[in-house]
Amino acid sequence: MSSSFIDEPMIEAFVYETSQITENLEQLVIANEKSGTFNEEAINEIFRFMHTIKGSSAMMMFNEMSTLAHRLEDIFYIIREDKTVQYDFTILIDIILESMDYFKIELMKIKEGDPPDGENATLLQKVTDYLEVIKTKDSCVKKIVEDKHQKKYNDYNYYKARIWFKKDAEMENIRAYTVIHNITDLVEEVVYEPKDIIENDNCVSMIQSKGFLLAVKTIENEEVIKKYLENTIFLEKLDFETIDLNDYNSFDSIEKSIEMENEVKIPKTAKINVRKSEKQESPINSQQSIISVQVDKLDKLMDMVGELVIAEAMVTQNPELTQLEIESFEKASRQLHKITGELQDMVMAIRMVPLSTTFMKMHRIVRDMTRRLGKDIELVVLGEETEVDKNIIEKIADPLMHIIRNSIDHGIEDKEERSKNGKSTQGIIRLEAKNSGSDVQIIIKDDGKGLDKKKLYDKAIKNGLINSSFDEMSDRDIYNLILQAGFSTKEEVTEFSGRGVGMDVVAKNISSIGGTVIVDSIPKQGMSIILKIPLTLAIIEGMNIKVGNSRFTLPIVNIKESFRPKNKEIIKDTEGQEMIMVRGQCYPIIRLHQFYSISTKIMEVESGILIMVEEGEQSCCVFADELLGQQQVVVKGLPEYIKKSKQIKGLGGCTLLGDGSISLILDVGEFSNLSNVSDKL
Amino acid sequence: MKKLMIVDDAAFMRVSIKRMLGDQDYEIVAEAEDGEQAVELYKKYKPDVITMDITMPKMTGIEALKAIKAIDKNVKVVMLSAMGQEFLIRESVMNGAESFVVKPFNKEKLVEVLNKVTG
Repeated sequence: MSSSFIDEPMIEAFVYETSQITENLEQLVIANEKSGTFNEEAINEIFRFMHTIKGSSAMMMFNEMSTLAHRLEDIFYIIREDKTVQYDFTILIDIILESMDYFKIELMKIKEGDPPDGENATLLQKVTDYLEVIKTKDSCVKKIVEDKHQKKYNDYNYYKARIWFKKDAEMENIRAYTVIHNITDLVEEVVYEPKDIIENDNCVSMIQSKGFLLAVKTIENEEVIKKYLENTIFLEKLDFETIDLNDYNSFDSIEKSIEMENEVKIPKTAKINVRKSEKQESPINSQQSIISVQVDKLDKLMDMVGELVIAEAMVTQNPELTQLEIESFEKASRQLHKITGELQDMVMAIRMVPLSTTFMKMHRIVRDMTRRLGKDIELVVLGEETEVDKNIIEKIADPLMHIIRNSIDHGIEDKEERSKNGKSTQGIIRLEAKNSGSDVQIIIKDDGKGLDKKKLYDKAIKNGLINSSFDEMSDRDIYNLILQAGFSTKEEVTEFSGRGVGMDVVAKNISSIGGTVIVDSIPKQGMSIILKIPLTLAIIEGMNIKVGNSRFTLPIVNIKESFRPKNKEIIKDTEGQEMIMVRGQCYPIIRLHQFYSISTKIMEVESGILIMVEEGEQSCCVFADELLGQQQVVVKGLPEYIKKSKQIKGLGGCTLLGDGSISLILDVGEFSNLSNVSDKL
Repeated sequence: MKKLMIVDDAAFMRVSIKRMLGDQDYEIVAEAEDGEQAVELYKKYKPDVITMDITMPKMTGIEALKAIKAIDKNVKVVMLSAMGQEFLIRESVMNGAESFVVKPFNKEKLVEVLNKVTG
């Protein structure tokens, strides 16, 4: 097979399937590691996984990968066939995991369009050595392997047969398929004509007139094969003859040349390579109800639905129509609104992916690190079925990994220290996800030593990050210091965490997807980090407000209330910052017209409106001219040139309103930080 | 005498099959109306051969086939299907169905298939 067949969809399918296999395999191996041995099921599964990787990477002509997978397959073949074989479990696990890492890197390259040229000679040698060791430990096993190889090349018989079905057999193509499918138990390889028996309905008449031709390569003798074929249901007549390898190959090559034309459309229908022991359907075959779609297409669809939402608003809120009262229009636009709403929900739902894959990856990190650091840590995963937008998933994997590493490295103490403090020697890290409103919360909690407030404070002072006194700061303020740039509590940089990147990078990554990070800790009992992540990025429910001639949009989730203030409620602090007392709490006021230097007639607080907004733990009141109304808005990033020319604070993006005007989306988090006034009096 | 189970959501089909097999060497030990019931009854009666409709409520014939084959892969399953269900039959065959009969079928066909798969 030449590389010209290998096209985009094939590569994609290969990368997708193989990545899944490596993921699964890794989980399987780690799960088994705990029990200290591979159970039979696991051995079978690993064998099958390796077999699949071997086969498909050979198809793709990625020989290094194929060879590696082949050797690993051999190892598990031996382990599977000979229950008594002695093997070093820990080394084997290391070998597998190392190989998985290799596969992952290669897959990444393939995905990026680069050749998978990774050097694996050392790894391959390791695997081969291991294979040699378990082979020689038992000569009987060696024989099995030799047998297997010998059979592969020498002892084959070749037969050719033509089958005629009875006239009223019906669906002859499927009958033929049944024959092919079931004969795979007896043969190594089968080729047949016509080949597209499933896809092409014309085959039916061809099989009726010319019969169904097949040739097999097998270790079975004539009698067995012939008997099998004679037992074909609705068989009218059977021609059967023994052929030699050359005949078979010529049959094969004729077939192949035809096969090639079909290949692009339907790869691999005509030739089925079988090895008895591994006849196992891949799960994809049985999952007819699932199709895989390119993410690009989904992104595009999402964009279009976004545009649709805008267009809908443009129509239904058309300024010239708002004065008119047309009942039928009202009705029609309500209907339109309902449908766009449903469409939007559906698009969101399509993009939702469970967090489980991301969470499962953490097992590997915990395993690798605990082994090297000599700690004993159990990772408890909860709520991994929680779903978030695909784009978001990609962005949280790294932060999550970093937090977990931190917990293992800095958070959880080593065994001696734990038992000295009356804790069980095994540390526990809980990784939990749950839905809360329009957010998903990811909670990473460990039972380690927790954060040392005083130490954090001293460090921050030393690095010049703060200038308030220790007593002025709330616990949370102090804990949140670790999220600031240039802050690292551990003096020496270790192998795993603290390679120059710290929690500030985590906080930055999370906030880039509109999320927030909350740190909490109980000294000596552990700490928790909560990542609050929006379910989706693209469309939010917003409140449009007006300041002068400008429009702004506040995300509804941030708004607590809005009210008309009275002059006498406004107080000023020593720095001249306006504040308002609401139910005993004091909130800073941010006048948008001042903040963005917008000219407006409404300067008096009593003639405008205050909107209380909240982000995380912080709240403030935004002063605007008036509320325009609630609307779903499509979040668009700020254009590059705006970002480049000037850093404008407090903007999260922009959106188009129904009348075609642009509204700026306010980033409440940034606002409440800017006010920089503690919400305590 | 081989033990046979009929799985079909249409009562008419079940009756028809029973009639066709009345004078044959099959003892009809169970009848199921859907896939779930099929799996239940399979466990109870352990028939040698099953005629399985594909499109059924609760659990399709293919799912039932998988479930039953997972319990015992030696049980013979003959799928009953209509024209146009080629892909489903192919899937069934992939999942271990021994053969299939296309609806509408007559007694001779059904008997031939059943005899072949049990023979």
